[in-house]
Amino acid sequence: MSIFLSSNVIAFFFIELILFLFAIYSVVVSINIFKNWDFNSTSPSQYNLEKKSFLISTIIYFTIIIKSFMFIFFASTLDSLASIVPGAMCAAGIINANSYGNILLFLKIFIIFIFGIWIVLNKFDLKSTTYLYIKKKFLLYIIVFVLLCVEIVLEYLYFSNISTKQPVLCCSVVFGQSSASNGLPFNLSINMIVAIFYILYSLIIISNYTKNDKISLLSSMIFLFVAYYSVTYFFGTYIYELPTHKCPFCMLQKEYHYIGYFVWISLFFGVFFGILSSILKLLTKRDFVFIYKYTIIFTSIFVFICTYYVLAYYIKNGVFL
Amino acid sequence: MIKIKNLNKTYDNFQALKDINLHIKKGEIVVLKGVSGSGKSTLLSLIASMSKPSSGSVEVNNILVSKLPDVHSCKYRNENIGYIFQSFNLLEQLSVADNIFAPLVISEAKNKQELLEIAMKKANIYHKKDEIVSNLSGGEKQRCAIARAIVLNPNIIIADEPTASLDKQNSLKFIEVLKEFKKEKRTVIISTHDSIFDNLDLVSRYINIQDGQIVD
Repeated sequence: MSIFLSSNVIAFFFIELILFLFAIYSVVVSINIFKNWDFNSTSPSQYNLEKKSFLISTIIYFTIIIKSFMFIFFASTLDSLASIVPGAMCAAGIINANSYGNILLFLKIFIIFIFGIWIVLNKFDLKSTTYLYIKKKFLLYIIVFVLLCVEIVLEYLYFSNISTKQPVLCCSVVFGQSSASNGLPFNLSINMIVAIFYILYSLIIISNYTKNDKISLLSSMIFLFVAYYSVTYFFGTYIYELPTHKCPFCMLQKEYHYIGYFVWISLFFGVFFGILSSILKLLTKRDFVFIYKYTIIFTSIFVFICTYYVLAYYIKNGVFL
Repeated sequence: MIKIKNLNKTYDNFQALKDINLHIKKGEIVVLKGVSGSGKSTLLSLIASMSKPSSGSVEVNNILVSKLPDVHSCKYRNENIGYIFQSFNLLEQLSVADNIFAPLVISEAKNKQELLEIAMKKANIYHKKDEIVSNLSGGEKQRCAIARAIVLNPNIIIADEPTASLDKQNSLKFIEVLKEFKKEKRTVIISTHDSIFDNLDLVSRYINIQDGQIVD
């Protein structure tokens, strides 16, 4: 059986192709706007570009919103494939079915990060009466389009190379500890990584409370990696209530009340806003104070969900795992 | 106050306006004269930023309105322009008060109810405030449209063929309204081919438009 016979994969590719067509049209006009934009001109071509810029911004905005939902659909598609690929218990096995999976996953996350920056830049551009950030936002889109091309090629390579006959590894093998290592970077202990997790969280709160964008950028970027390992190797075991179950994907399943979506989305937004203030400052030379508030809110939601599972387990059972 | 430079507007292959240059000072009452299809309404819609020119510029109160992004054009119109349409463009199923309140919905004005009452009284339509618009006569509908145009106290009033749907008596009442606008030092631009506007003392200037061009 071909993986392309899965209804989820067919739907995924169908929507991705439609979005890619939108993206191609948008990039053609974006290049035109980027090359020929001259706000002071009152020529017919400039008025034409002004008219088109709003349409293209709307198409890009629409594409971004659908692509964001498509990322969630991608995760759920991987999860659904676990039932037809031998050996796979969840999306972890599917993503590791070939060498393209992890690259595709990280590329998708990276693209969504840049899309987020584009949305914020677009918002401020539309707020201004003189198209203040129009060139920057369309240049950013042209760069994103290159990544979108790589993404769609990777998607094809990834799905077309998933075999439904060859067994893949399950998550307990992918993330389980070998005799030589506990799976954590720099051979850190679980206690150490959890301590760093809370120290970085405190640093994020303090830096955003004091509106220090550089510390926020640095701490948020490190927090992304530390949080990933902390959830996979420590907090996840409390979600699954099993000390040997270490997987970042299983928590996306129904039996865990889809809590994984809340965990990863809140982490994504927390880190996104954490680095956004610095990037926007660089692009616009302005300070956007409201972003600090969102960093605190989303990061706190993420930390609250993680901590809740540990405390709830302790209160229920009187012991830690 | 209103500076129009080298303004052109083309619809597909039809050039509606050709190289218009025009300055209108604050408080002037200007009448644009010309036959149907001469480009009067197109010019008014460009001044009101309801459409964008093909080339050239429109500047109102030092704002280059022809370059305003669409989302900002709405705010500009709401704050600066009172527009009286030929067919009034009222919401027929709503009451007079609700129609006049429409521009206030997106406005940031604080005393909205007060502004509504002042506009209705000025336009002499207060006594019909709860009447459904579809039940009004032509003259009453126009008074409702005038009230809606002045409710936010704009400094520019644009009237596109304001007497085209009215009988002579109601048209003469509109001239009285113009006198009020003159007293209030509002800038008024009227497009018309109605002879009732000919040789009026209160009109500052008559501008003839023919085939999209200003002619002497």
